[in-house]
Amino acid sequence: MTKNYIVENLKKQITNFKDDAKAEKVGHVIEVFDGIAKISGLSDIKASEMVSFPNGEIGVTLNLEEDSIGVIILGDFSKIHEGDEVHATDQILSVPVADAQIGRVLNALGAPIDGKGAIKTDKSNPIEKVAPGVITRQSVSQAVQTGIKAIDALIPIGRGQRELIIGDRQTGKTAIAIDTILNQKGQDMICVYVSIGQKDSKLRKIQTRLEEGGAMDYTIIVSAGSSESAALAYIAPYTGVSIAEYFMDQGKDVLIIYDDLSKHAVAYREISLLLRRPPGREAFPGDVFYLHSRLLERACRRNKEYGGGSITALPIIETQSGDLSAYIPTNVISITDGQIFLETDLFYKGIRPAVNVGFSVSRVGSSAQIKAMKKVSGTLKLDLAQFRELEAFSQFGSDLDESTKNQLERGKRAVEMLKQPQYAPMATEDQVVVLYALTKGFMDDVAVDKIKLFEKGLIEYTQKNSKVFYREVMETKMWTDAGEQELVKVIGEYKNSFAK
Amino acid sequence: MATISVNNIASAIYESSQGKDGAELDIVMKKAVNLISKKHLMSKSKEILNQLERIIDKKDGVVRAKISSRIKIDKKITDEIEDFIKKRYQVKHTVLEFTVDEKLLGGMRIEIGDEIIDMTTRNKIKKLQNYLITN
Repeated sequence: MTKNYIVENLKKQITNFKDDAKAEKVGHVIEVFDGIAKISGLSDIKASEMVSFPNGEIGVTLNLEEDSIGVIILGDFSKIHEGDEVHATDQILSVPVADAQIGRVLNALGAPIDGKGAIKTDKSNPIEKVAPGVITRQSVSQAVQTGIKAIDALIPIGRGQRELIIGDRQTGKTAIAIDTILNQKGQDMICVYVSIGQKDSKLRKIQTRLEEGGAMDYTIIVSAGSSESAALAYIAPYTGVSIAEYFMDQGKDVLIIYDDLSKHAVAYREISLLLRRPPGREAFPGDVFYLHSRLLERACRRNKEYGGGSITALPIIETQSGDLSAYIPTNVISITDGQIFLETDLFYKGIRPAVNVGFSVSRVGSSAQIKAMKKVSGTLKLDLAQFRELEAFSQFGSDLDESTKNQLERGKRAVEMLKQPQYAPMATEDQVVVLYALTKGFMDDVAVDKIKLFEKGLIEYTQKNSKVFYREVMETKMWTDAGEQELVKVIGEYKNSFAK
Repeated sequence: MATISVNNIASAIYESSQGKDGAELDIVMKKAVNLISKKHLMSKSKEILNQLERIIDKKDGVVRAKISSRIKIDKKITDEIEDFIKKRYQVKHTVLEFTVDEKLLGGMRIEIGDEIIDMTTRNKIKKLQNYLITN
């Protein structure tokens, strides 16, 4: 590219430049503090319209008052001064969207922050959008395989569902989300992980783990870290879902994780209080329910006539001392299609993932399970519930009847089998094999402390020797009598070798 | 209880002073100042006066404009600007304030309320810069 070429190109651009003088509405900054600006003027500005400041920062209009406008500044507010001229842009806040965003880490405005260069695109999606209507939707009937036995068997998630992950701090909420993303390899799913108010070090660990697992080939990370303003934390989830909608509009399935919405609610509370909106319960503004309901309603499964595709949402909420009845947790529980409840007690007892199966539910249920999984997990939830009730009597072991003792033993083995290490998602076929062995009693004579070893060996052995069963489950999602016979024979052979 | 805005107070002063003069007007003004003091709005007295001016201008059909240019504008152009403003805002009276600002580089800038028409060279260069960056 010669100097002349660049000069000629510039001259051409300048010639094509047209500037017509026109009247523009402007405002002036009267107050700026803590990421909020009060502006006078701009008499015909619309709610949620973008405004631009002289230093290039942008803001979003949230309060339209009689004498002034309340604007949240999406950037560094220290460069904005009283008296600065503010222009309306006549646009609602939009974020750039592109296929090239896959594998990248973006900020809440959709700009890359991973140092791998700019993303060129001319497409954008508004961050606020009305959720798809009833007619455009389709029932949830396809599974999202998390690779976690406790979830896929007992609290199955479907494509287009909203399943809440809720629990106290350090109970494995993010671990479940990351394992789910890792298990989407080869599942034709695009993943969006929205990090709200998290430490940068934690996000870096997550990014590294996803890169090591090859998950960044189909994942986008949107981040509003804890050092960023509340305004960016407020819009980050909407940015994430706008990017997800771009892929859903192409007929693709998308999984989006909001980690976590408790911090999102706190950021919104901060903005609302600074804008002098009346505080309600726990000082949250009156529309905090709407904050999350309009976000989560955008997750759906669309029918083929309207383009197909789906967005499955896994919002995360952090509770305090296991209090499910607090304001924000109850709000989000009432919005979502089920919850996965993680307990600190279970975590410290060594039951990880620390899923409380009794309090967890999936309102989509077995519609989202393949037939094979439905068959093996059918009675498992009931067995576990009965086991928990009988556990209190286990100290009186010698005084119990035979069937109660058997139930207790089966329950202990089920709890042991459902334990799973982090970053080790299990394929559906392997889960079916293990659950089949458990529910048909093949593990009843295996010592509880040897269950994990038995399980590991069983999977390796059946993968090599039960090819008919595996092929049937992978292709038709259900086994035939021939497949089952082969599996029973193989399990028997393995048990004999294990006993030796 | 709803907060009293600057606009409320300015409108109240205007409405109460309609058709009054002399001693009656003095009483109205005194009461207005007492109210502003009672509501701890003395710090906003400048905004109240500006808003009152806007209300009076609107009622009297007056438009105020600030025109900034790099060099002093001659009478022919100032008359053209006045005619343009009267036609655009459908008013009979205008109050024009002219200022000279060398930083504009050229052209002129007209500010009327919260509307501006910026035909300065500085603004054109800025728009050209944004155009070249995005294209």
